[in-house]
Amino acid sequence: MCPYTWDVPGGVQAHVRDLAESLLRLGHEVSVLAPVDDPDLPGLEPYVVSGGRAVPIPYNGSVARLSFGPLSLARTRRWLRAGRFDVLHLHEPTVPSLSMLAMWTARGALVATFHTSTPRSRALQVFGTVLQPGLEKLTGRIAVSAAARRVIMGHLGGDAVLVPNGVEVAHFAGAEPLPGRGDAPTVVFLGRIDEDRKGLAVLLEALPELVRRIPDVQLLVAGPGEAGPVLEQVPPGLRDRVELLGLVPEADKASTYASGTVYCAPNTHGESFGIVLLEAMATGTPVVASDLEAFRTVLDGGRYGVLFPVRDAAALASSLADLIQDPERRAELAALGRGAVQAYDWSAVTRQIVAVYETVVAASPVDLEAAVPLDEGDDDEGADDGSALRRLLTQLRSR
Amino acid sequence: MSPGAWALTALVLVLLGVYVSWTAGRLDRLHARVDAAWAALDAALVRRAAAARALVLHLPPRAPQTLELERAAAAALVGGPVAREAVENDLSVALRAALPLLPAGGSAEVRRELDAAATRVGLARSFHNSAVANARVLRDKRMPRLLRLAGHRVLPQYFDIDDAALSPDLLRECG
Repeated sequence: MCPYTWDVPGGVQAHVRDLAESLLRLGHEVSVLAPVDDPDLPGLEPYVVSGGRAVPIPYNGSVARLSFGPLSLARTRRWLRAGRFDVLHLHEPTVPSLSMLAMWTARGALVATFHTSTPRSRALQVFGTVLQPGLEKLTGRIAVSAAARRVIMGHLGGDAVLVPNGVEVAHFAGAEPLPGRGDAPTVVFLGRIDEDRKGLAVLLEALPELVRRIPDVQLLVAGPGEAGPVLEQVPPGLRDRVELLGLVPEADKASTYASGTVYCAPNTHGESFGIVLLEAMATGTPVVASDLEAFRTVLDGGRYGVLFPVRDAAALASSLADLIQDPERRAELAALGRGAVQAYDWSAVTRQIVAVYETVVAASPVDLEAAVPLDEGDDDEGADDGSALRRLLTQLRSR
Repeated sequence: MSPGAWALTALVLVLLGVYVSWTAGRLDRLHARVDAAWAALDAALVRRAAAARALVLHLPPRAPQTLELERAAAAALVGGPVAREAVENDLSVALRAALPLLPAGGSAEVRRELDAAATRVGLARSFHNSAVANARVLRDKRMPRLLRLAGHRVLPQYFDIDDAALSPDLLRECG
């Protein structure tokens, strides 16, 4: 159950996809309900069921595409009823989208993963009381990081178990650099380029000093966003050092990391987990990251990569230059990194999630079923908003 | 009173009634969740005790840690609600002391089972305590308290033991 639009790339979507595929490999049956803009998309995974179109809504500093309303509710209920699932795994149930609808509708073995670590989420503050009855139905809560766990405990009460995000280590481990890359020392950045919290501005601010120390350095920037305002932050003489790749297709992501002499994550805040760091480490690219709690955890306080003070461009420039000039240290970090990511490989993470599922099934009061009686007969595919609403009203009246 | 005022009063009363009954249902569901979570935790604890007992057979027979683990596992297998936290805590401590004695190799099966059992104790305990926390918060609100919506159900209790002692890391390190 994914709250964000499936055809738009994002951390939660990738998480849901990788988890689903990993579970399928273990022989489990998986169905994912997600907002899908174009259900006829040729590459759509067979286990994905469309929960309807999504509307873009600004949320948590990004634009989230969410799906909410009577039609989505009807689809969610139909999916739950048809699926007869043993476990329903919701992602981000506090985001007003499909997950939240399912939380209200479903009963039984419910488990939710909380990805956000924003300490003061406005949505949670305003709607906390409204959400509480729904959240009470969750048997299990999973937090992907210590920060996300604190948010759950603070806002929602109760505990959560820690299961980190996973990385498809094998996919990244064998990655070759992008074709046509020269031998020049390269710093790679990956993430939305116009989003402040990804911190590209800090890296660009560090560029002049970095060029002074490493004259032939290149900056490889991969990620969606408008290029114009970004280039304006670069002194005109240095613009040829910055190569903007735009949105890199999922298939080329590993090669993008592998093209770097160093991978740089200058994020300023709002990172709940260091999945990008793990991916870079899996390709054997050493990492320089800002000293955020999530990154510190993944890098084990600096053992598996270099940390620099958040937003400190001068420190970033010297960290990058030091690492680029020290091939031995780079080789050492690459080896350590490849070892450290094993604990986050999807095979290991999925084992933990399956243990969570088993415990959730054991700890849930009733079987999972939609809150509607099953003898109602199946809906036809063409059920419109009106009939779904009418049915809802009939049910309410019949109680 | 005018008919309008009557209608308004009736409406308010009906809405109040709906709210109270909805809250009672919510509280009921929370208690059911606590009960189910406790059943799962109980099962996980028994599984861990059984795994601990199986481990005893693979340890040096006369070492004090082995004897202590044997005693703690037997006590935990008796189960029951009395002093359960203390008994399970003893088992955690005994396991932590005894695990380094486990000879490398040969007992992978036992170790895997203990790892799985200990992981599930941690999970079940977290889920149980979440349910308890949610139930207690709602019971503590004014309306449910005044109307005694909880009936004579006992106040759910947290279950706190030191299960971090058995983190998978520790199990792997000595493997």
